[in-house]
Amino acid sequence: MVDILEVKNLKKYFKINSGQLHAVDDVTFSIQKGKTLGVVGESGCGKSTLGRTVLHLLESTDGQIFFDGEDVTHVDAKKLRKLREKMQIIFQDPFSSLNPRMSVSTTIAEPLELSGRFGKAEIGSLTDQLMDTVGLAPRLRNSYPHELDGGRRQRIGIARALALEPDFIVCDEPVSALDVSIQAQILNLMQDLQEKRQLTYIFITHDLSVVRHISDDICVMYMGQMVEKSPSKELFKNPLHPYTKALLSAVPVPNIHKKQERIILKGEVTSPVNPPPGCRFAKRCRYAAEGCQAPQNLTEVSPGHFLACHRYQEID
Amino acid sequence: MSKSESKRLLEVKDLTVQYLTGEEVVEAVNGVSFTLDRGETLGLVGETGAGKTTIAKSILRILPDPPAKVAGGEIFLDGEDLLHMPESKMRTIRGKKISMIFQDPMTALNPIFSIGDQIAEVIRLHEKKLSKKAAYEKAVAMLEMVGIPGERYSDFPHQFSGGMKQRVIIAIALACNPELLLADEPTTALDVTIQAQVLDMMRKLKEELGTSMILITHDLGIVAEVCDKVAVVYAGEIVESGNLEAIYDHGSHPYTKGLFGSIPDIEGEEKRLSPINGMPPNPADLPEGCNFHPRCPYATDACRKGKIPFTEVAAGHLVRCVQAQKGEF
Repeated sequence: MVDILEVKNLKKYFKINSGQLHAVDDVTFSIQKGKTLGVVGESGCGKSTLGRTVLHLLESTDGQIFFDGEDVTHVDAKKLRKLREKMQIIFQDPFSSLNPRMSVSTTIAEPLELSGRFGKAEIGSLTDQLMDTVGLAPRLRNSYPHELDGGRRQRIGIARALALEPDFIVCDEPVSALDVSIQAQILNLMQDLQEKRQLTYIFITHDLSVVRHISDDICVMYMGQMVEKSPSKELFKNPLHPYTKALLSAVPVPNIHKKQERIILKGEVTSPVNPPPGCRFAKRCRYAAEGCQAPQNLTEVSPGHFLACHRYQEID
Repeated sequence: MSKSESKRLLEVKDLTVQYLTGEEVVEAVNGVSFTLDRGETLGLVGETGAGKTTIAKSILRILPDPPAKVAGGEIFLDGEDLLHMPESKMRTIRGKKISMIFQDPMTALNPIFSIGDQIAEVIRLHEKKLSKKAAYEKAVAMLEMVGIPGERYSDFPHQFSGGMKQRVIIAIALACNPELLLADEPTTALDVTIQAQVLDMMRKLKEELGTSMILITHDLGIVAEVCDKVAVVYAGEIVESGNLEAIYDHGSHPYTKGLFGSIPDIEGEEKRLSPINGMPPNPADLPEGCNFHPRCPYATDACRKGKIPFTEVAAGHLVRCVQAQKGEF
């Protein structure tokens, strides 16, 4: 299998009044074609920034991005336009990501028109096909976003992302704003599309049961750093980083017979502005020791299972 | 349930609430009945727009009227009729006997008052004899109870993180030792590790103070952890209710089953989810018969007419479904 996307030591810092905000700090990963990488973490951990930086919606501070074997870290506007046809994004909030003054068919047709590759009649028929693919009834063609519920709006977002037949889609919390019954419909749709079109996903979410369901690999982020990356099943069976352990134990399970031991984290979160080197979780970590002040290296502890914690052997 | 006075605290009978908007009548709550004993926690589960928050707000009588109108039903707290009480008396109950935790901690606090003053405000409103100093001391004690150092009394909401703000809101809600706490999605806006802290704290406080609670949520995991009994709400109606075991092990209503089928299992092996087809009905245009029948895979002609009554399939386990009437579960 070929890696469709490879990211090496990617950094994204934002300049703010009090210094540099390290939103994404030294993140490295790769994804094979047709697979899904789940990115989990709590709000503010940099997972959306990571997705956006990969897509060039934000300019990276440092590091390299390879797409289809080609270095695309710095590309000119013309090339970026071509590249964007191949990499798309589905946004979190279907209530604010759609233009309220554009009808369903106009919204979906927009990327087709902008590409300049299709004639008017072709755009019409492609739009119909796309609506069919994502399960939007033809009678909704001329509806406006405010007339539709969250699930249908998210289907528009998906149709729009699919319009130019991309290979790779960043899904930024695509089901977080939806009710569970609708969420399941959208997750099934996304899995069907992936199978049919060999799509590669980066799936960003804070919902751990969703990420386990949809991902092949999962990377756990904390304060801009990747603390653990592992095949999905392995991560849930054998979490190694103290943060991953606490995160997994915190999820309430809808099962009344399984009472789990809960790790309650103490202490407050470190600021991502001008952070000291070393593990950013150390302040809340019950295993913190002196060595945690030094930068942690990502090491492969078993095939495909990477970890950034120097004490993992002592704490198991 | 406390043993000393194993009395019923709250009784809601046939509550019906409508929103009158111009031409339309939105039927938000349609004949909801339930009871709550002292020290008990009831989980109200359902999706957006099912009417969960409307139920809680009608207990506190804080629905905006117009457009909301309580069209029928009765609510008793300790045997006292809440719906027909004069407003002046109701004010002595709000915040004192019943208090509410709102969903969004980012907007529920007043940005221009210190968090300590906001806690002291409730105390001084309900305990008028208390001196300013005593109220201050009590507010500091409340802050410490929810795990915030008392020195932060004079800090303002923007100086706190989301989880801490929610703890301040819980401190305000518990400041007067209410008998009933209405918690409307208290942890939805929080991250999971912070949610675990807040849930842990709420459970401890409930045990210490013996407060009864109605927890509104869409998260079946949280219900499993915190509640004693559950009512599943769909389109303004309770479709199934019972204790945890009845709902989690013997859930019978097709909607309850659909809800469980829609959640990805964090431990299971399943590859595909089995979602509920279609969308929730428009509450201004509810279907005839069972509200769920247009989405229900088992729907028959009998589901399409008349109001479906509850069937008691086991002791205390009520299901509003035609199949249950026939004894098919």
